[in-house]
Amino acid sequence: MTIERRTILKSLAAAPAALAMPAYLRQASAQGGTLDIAAVYSLSGTFANVGTLLNSGSKWAIEKYDTVLGKKLNYVLIDDRGDAGEAVRRVQEVMTQRGIRHILGCTNSAIALAVQKEVYARGGIYVQMAGADESTGKDCNKSNFRWPVASYSAVNATVRPLIEKFPDAKKWYTITGQYVFGDSLLTNVKDVLKEKGLQHVGNSYHSLSDREYSGYIATALAAQPDVLAICNFGNQTLDVVRQAISYGMKRNTKILAVWSTGLDQFQALGPENCDGIYFGCNFWHGVDSPGGRVVAEVVKAKTGDVPNYLHACGYAVAQVLLEGIKKAGTDDVPAVIKALEGMTYEGPTGTETVRPEDHQVIKDYYLMLGKAKSAMKDKNDFADVVAATKAFLPPEKTGCKMS
Amino acid sequence: MSMQLLLFQVLNGLGIGMIYFLLSVGLTLIFGLMRFVNFAHGAFYLVAAYIAFALTRWTGSIWLSLVIAPLAVAALAMVVERVLLRHTYRMPHEAQILITFAIALLMQEIVILIFGPLGQNVPVPSALSGIVFLGPYVYPAYRLFVVGVAVLVAIALWLVVEKTKLGSVLRAGSESAEMVGLLGINVDRVFMATFALGGALAGLAGVLFAPIRGVEPFMSVEALGIAFVVIVVGGLGTLSGALVGGLLIGLVQSIMSTLWPEGAQLMIYAAMALVILARPAGLLGRF
Repeated sequence: MTIERRTILKSLAAAPAALAMPAYLRQASAQGGTLDIAAVYSLSGTFANVGTLLNSGSKWAIEKYDTVLGKKLNYVLIDDRGDAGEAVRRVQEVMTQRGIRHILGCTNSAIALAVQKEVYARGGIYVQMAGADESTGKDCNKSNFRWPVASYSAVNATVRPLIEKFPDAKKWYTITGQYVFGDSLLTNVKDVLKEKGLQHVGNSYHSLSDREYSGYIATALAAQPDVLAICNFGNQTLDVVRQAISYGMKRNTKILAVWSTGLDQFQALGPENCDGIYFGCNFWHGVDSPGGRVVAEVVKAKTGDVPNYLHACGYAVAQVLLEGIKKAGTDDVPAVIKALEGMTYEGPTGTETVRPEDHQVIKDYYLMLGKAKSAMKDKNDFADVVAATKAFLPPEKTGCKMS
Repeated sequence: MSMQLLLFQVLNGLGIGMIYFLLSVGLTLIFGLMRFVNFAHGAFYLVAAYIAFALTRWTGSIWLSLVIAPLAVAALAMVVERVLLRHTYRMPHEAQILITFAIALLMQEIVILIFGPLGQNVPVPSALSGIVFLGPYVYPAYRLFVVGVAVLVAIALWLVVEKTKLGSVLRAGSESAEMVGLLGINVDRVFMATFALGGALAGLAGVLFAPIRGVEPFMSVEALGIAFVVIVVGGLGTLSGALVGGLLIGLVQSIMSTLWPEGAQLMIYAAMALVILARPAGLLGRF
């Protein structure tokens, strides 16, 4: 390619004007009426199967909205490879080098907690789906918003209804992932059991890399619990459920997976492993609502099937951010944060509200009971909703000191 | 820990150990004869598990997969050996690791393209879906079946290696492939057959594991990790080493999951480190 002398002269003449232009105008001009939204997901590493579908949900939401306030939306994907350090480094890069201020997504709590500090320090806004209480608790900040319920809500919306349903189930055993989220679930289960005067007969921690749980299940069987509560997430939940059933634990013990991703995990377990098992769930395609129907249409167009939690969750975090921008009438970060606080909108689970005090989205969490294959009305009808509960800590008890 | 629980964990650990033996025996067989580090071992396991998933969905039963999947993976292993790996035998181990790692990634991505990134279920055959009572203990019938298959595989391999002419060639080849070649035996063909057998064993493990774990595209990583730990502990390249290594790791994991649950996984690697410190070639490895 050759550069003509005239082109160089034109560029030199334009340079002083460009330098004199205010920074925000330069940015708008450079983006040509586009708004970059960065999404942080693990597309490789241990949680890549989760990250891939979350990413799809967010990307489809951006495609569905297409523009906001007349600006074309541009989806910028960051693959953190399942590593919180990598996530922070990549977020730093896009915020400093590309000037992106609107960030969404995470694949696990450790990543979200690290990224939310970084985004806050750099004056951005971050909508994510971490499960750990700390995210909108003691580690909350002005930039950070969370769509799914926290572990407190997951436990209280599942353990309490189960206690009411089975008042004779006095002895509880827990198998817990030894990471931030697992510990958070365990603490809340212990609190509820203590309050209700029930017996926590034991806990087995497992590591993030465990896949063989028969030893833990043998220990649990020896404790003869009435209920086994599984406090972990992802494939580890599937493995514990599958192995607990194979060791005959379902005969005398109720099994509760406090946190599940619903449909995709039910498909992975199959009806024979879902039947009679209780699951906590953030989203269920069978719950009809205006917002849920929109997500269903988008996912149907892309996959030909109903949405699962991961699709819905990825969609929801993008929806929260974009609805905030629309309500604010600007993509200016402080204005969007202000608009989001207290905002009510039609989300995937029904009418959802962003709580101003801690930036937690207030929505239902479901306790579901897996059904037998013979009772399924269609290929996705794995479970019935037993209870739908909005169980949230009062803002003053979350430990959130909004900064 | 009560005596009864300890005894159960020992029995359970032996069961896990036999399953781990099945996972690793193909890997050790290939290394024993060919001195070849096969990082694609987990991928063969993965492919067989997905063949089992597809066939089970199609036929409603896993039994057909027990024959077809190992054979299909053996054929795949033969093609990979003939087309790619044969050119790397004289290269350093690093090159072999890189190329087999690339094959593993390729297969993983192909599986994702065809089946998607999420896990799927392979039902336990209905005849084996219950539990059996071993005295006061319960044990899954299907796991007992897998342990039984692992025992049969161990016996069959021992008979082949120790009592047949092919076994003599394999043992001689593991000492000196050049010498075997000078005796007029087609070493290339022996290598290809060994690689196919290693692939078939990985495939058999994949099919048998599928109902225990389900299938998901990243399952090869766990299989490969366990297989390497087992053969390093037992001694690289020896069948008896894979058996002893598998049993030791199974016992450590099962017993520690009661004594120190949060450290059970860690103790597997601690056991490996201790064995390497005491016997760098593994428990039954040759110096």
